[in-house]
Amino acid sequence: MPQRIFDPCGIVEASAKPLAPRAQDLAGKRLAVLDNTKWNGAKLLDAVVARLSQDVRFAQVNRYKKETFTKPAAPELLREIAANNDLAVIAIAD
Amino acid sequence: MAEAAAASVKAPGDELWVRDDVDLAEWYLAQPWSDGLPVIVPTEEKVADVVEALGGEPDFVECKVPPRMGSLTRQVLAINIVLAGAKPEYAPVVRAALVAMADARLNLNALQASTHMAAPLVIVNGPIRRSIGMNAGCNLFGPGNRANATIGRAIRLVMLTAGGGIAGELDKATLGHPGKYTYCIAENEEQSPWAPYHVEQGYRPEDSTVFVIPAEAPHSVTNHVANDPQGILDSMVSAMSTIASNPAVAGGACAVILGVEHAKMIAAHGWRRADVRAYLWSNAGNTFGELSFNHRYGKVYNRSLPIWCKREPDSFIPIVARPEDIHLFVAGGAAGRFSAFIPGWGNYATPVLRPIDSAQATAANCIDGTCAL
Repeated sequence: MPQRIFDPCGIVEASAKPLAPRAQDLAGKRLAVLDNTKWNGAKLLDAVVARLSQDVRFAQVNRYKKETFTKPAAPELLREIAANNDLAVIAIAD
Repeated sequence: MAEAAAASVKAPGDELWVRDDVDLAEWYLAQPWSDGLPVIVPTEEKVADVVEALGGEPDFVECKVPPRMGSLTRQVLAINIVLAGAKPEYAPVVRAALVAMADARLNLNALQASTHMAAPLVIVNGPIRRSIGMNAGCNLFGPGNRANATIGRAIRLVMLTAGGGIAGELDKATLGHPGKYTYCIAENEEQSPWAPYHVEQGYRPEDSTVFVIPAEAPHSVTNHVANDPQGILDSMVSAMSTIASNPAVAGGACAVILGVEHAKMIAAHGWRRADVRAYLWSNAGNTFGELSFNHRYGKVYNRSLPIWCKREPDSFIPIVARPEDIHLFVAGGAAGRFSAFIPGWGNYATPVLRPIDSAQATAANCIDGTCAL
């Protein structure tokens, strides 16, 4: 007799969300830099922006901060970033 | 009916069956969500008994468990409870704890994923402690009691299964701690000199509750010499005043477990719960200079500390922002001058107190709930 397995995991209801198309060229773009407020996040982002800026002239570099690194960014912050930027860089650094 | 060999579990409605020569105990133990300990193999009858104890309706969704957001139906909850070795009569406690953990205030999404070691500590109050045989006394954090052990284990299994908090995948803890196997105790209301925790918070003595706080491991507070509240509590203050715990750098909440001998000595001098909390809050903490390493590694502000904290080198920073962020319980055996400090996770979460089944909090008529006894 085959034996039944009982699934302890439960189902996940989720809909697939496609990724945004990758930018083909960085020059002249508006760059968002989102600090998650972890201890060393801003330092890492500073280094990333400095390195990118050696090769690319951005139209703008706009800095943002999450309220806390333990929760998702506020929807209004995400909307603002999406409305005013072409690219975003996010970093986590303990 | 599939005759496939052991494989990954499919969605409900698409049941998985394995051959009759498969050792089911080994099959469950080999799954990625295993806690590493042998399980009780679920059967139709065992699962149905637990579903019945939860009120029937196996498809009723109690909550969704972050970060995976698996739907915790009563059927799924019952499977986890059986796997953990828990009895059906424990099921309401497990459910209440998990619903409390799904409360947004507890921030289970980040707690599960955190690099910090915190695990949800569950403390049970009220008559259900006795009716299901929980240990509130000798060695209550240790082994030997089925209710404490398997309630805590069932909660952890749900965090692993429906919650997906599997080490290295969604659980990113650098170290973890032993309480991530099971971390569930009861308050020793019978030996406590004060009203139980839940009564102080507005519940009736005949109500049963669960309290959930994301917590580090217990740290012993030993004091065999003091015969007054200040002396005993100064040992607790010492344990609380480290710069290394998460509350030191991020506030939040913490738990203080007073052993019975310590609690009785303190109460004999006329001190109440609120006095103990106030004393600890007034004295436990660090200077901003200590917390900032005197700016040895660059200028520190520390946004995780309250905005109202002075940030001068000699400014005293209490270990948590308010006296009520120190959650005080009396527990343990009748003998031994020991207590415990249990640091929380920081201000990323707020502990949750929740009734088991239908109890409702009502405002107490006195300052610490003693009048309700």
